[in-house]
Amino acid sequence: MARLSGLQRDVLSLYRRCLRAVREKPSETRENFRSFIREEFHKNRDLDKKDFGTIEYLLRRGQRQLEMYQDPGITNISR
Amino acid sequence: MFRAALLQAVRQAVRSAPRCQAPIARSAVRSSLFRPQQITPSTYFQAVRCYSAPASLSRDEVEGRIMDLLKNFDKVQDVSKLNPQSHFVNDLGLDSLDTVEVVMAIEEEFSLEIPDKEADALHSVKQAVDYIMAQPDAH
Repeated sequence: MARLSGLQRDVLSLYRRCLRAVREKPSETRENFRSFIREEFHKNRDLDKKDFGTIEYLLRRGQRQLEMYQDPGITNISR
Repeated sequence: MFRAALLQAVRQAVRSAPRCQAPIARSAVRSSLFRPQQITPSTYFQAVRCYSAPASLSRDEVEGRIMDLLKNFDKVQDVSKLNPQSHFVNDLGLDSLDTVEVVMAIEEEFSLEIPDKEADALHSVKQAVDYIMAQPDAH
């Protein structure tokens, strides 16, 4: 794999943090969270890697969403 | 004065009583514990606290568990290309997000946490196996 840029590493690190956060959720609904995270990230999979503005915006949005969904009160997710 | 002397005598009597009994009790314990050991010395080691040896995973086992995990991963396009040498991106057709998922699954499988920096460096089955083999607390 080609060496990753700093921004790419940030995205992967956010992805990892999201997947780690799933472990705190009740085991029955973990799969829902996991597929939600997967889809959210894969939606923007084909974004041009030079499109820094968009990627940074999405990163910030993802971080906010992660903080929001990390609330222990949120036990399930559906689309 | 008389009362004080009497009390002292009583106290001494009380104090000395267990002192007399102690050696008897001790010898009883000693005889019951030590004698069998002299007859069968192998039982001596049962009293030693035994910690289990560090869980040593064999290379084959680690490899098998990682391969099983990849076999069940829905993003792997061509299972026939799966072998201990396969590269996650080039052979199995995974993207970098999928690679992260694989590494997370490996973390869960072996109950350890792989730091981001090292996780980013795992790109093939062989690298993952090497990494797990180097971790003393992998299960």
